Amino acid sequence: MIPLLSTIPVFPVLVAALVDSVPGIFFGLPLVALASLVFAATHHEDPAEIRFATVHWAVWLGGILGLVLAAVLLLGWFA
Amino acid sequence: MGQGSDTRLALARDKQAPSPRVVAVSPDDGSAIDLKNPAIAAVLAWAVPGLGHLYQGRVFKGRLFMGAILGTFLAGMWLGGGKVVYASWKPGDTRWAFVCQAGAGLVALPAIVQSLQIRGVSKQPLFGSTFMAPPLTAGQYVSRGYADRLAASDPDIDAEDFFDRPPLKQFRGEQVSHWHRRLGRWFDIGTLYTMLAGMLNVLVIYDAWAGPLGTPTDADRKARTTPQPKT
Repeated sequence: MIPLLSTIPVFPVLVAALVDSVPGIFFGLPLVALASLVFAATHHEDPAEIRFATVHWAVWLGGILGLVLAAVLLLGWFA
Repeated sequence: MGQGSDTRLALARDKQAPSPRVVAVSPDDGSAIDLKNPAIAAVLAWAVPGLGHLYQGRVFKGRLFMGAILGTFLAGMWLGGGKVVYASWKPGDTRWAFVCQAGAGLVALPAIVQSLQIRGVSKQPLFGSTFMAPPLTAGQYVSRGYADRLAASDPDIDAEDFFDRPPLKQFRGEQVSHWHRRLGRWFDIGTLYTMLAGMLNVLVIYDAWAGPLGTPTDADRKARTTPQPKT
């Protein structure tokens, strides 16, 4: 699997770009979690509903921001 | 019984009547949430994140917001080496990030005090402390005591960084450049943490003021009004 992927030129560049921005990604994850928690808690009152909505918001925020990050990395590579 | 005694009776009844409460409706189970005095709750929620909810008796959310918002703010301070929260309104060195950081409440207030102090007559922050003090800019005058303290405690500054202008001293560098050089990307990460904590606290303040933002969907309402079959 790894040798196959390493033959594609995009993959190593993407991995390198991702690793280069690891502190940003790593320290950005708690902020996504915090935003999800606050969004959920300001929309609900019941603790169980807050927990469920936190996961829901985290998936949405993480997904959207992940897509944006991937797009930026790809555009940066093609530029 | 005259008209005067009727009025007194009415006033007595008003005093005995419970004061009107502002309530919100929980989007989860439709129950009433006593917001008490929303204005007081909002001010408390700004001053200390979560305190407005504790005042309203919403203990779970109060603790949650207090831990999350204050924890993130303090984590940002730590990541940024304690330098990322300061207030500065000088042309060319306006710290717009502080507008967001101020949303976290009293925890950001020392920055305003320090900014006013260093611009004031004393030309030094409160107690000569560097805590939340704005960075010195080129040509800025400071007290001799503060200059000596910076030269002794700050690894990036020594006595040669100040011109001697009795009774003051004049800085001849850009302290914020030192911070950026020493902290690198941690300055930005710490700034981002503290800014986001302040901005998210605005939602918390609104929640204390007006109750939860969420509204029950039609499916929720139908599920709650439809009698459940007994098992």
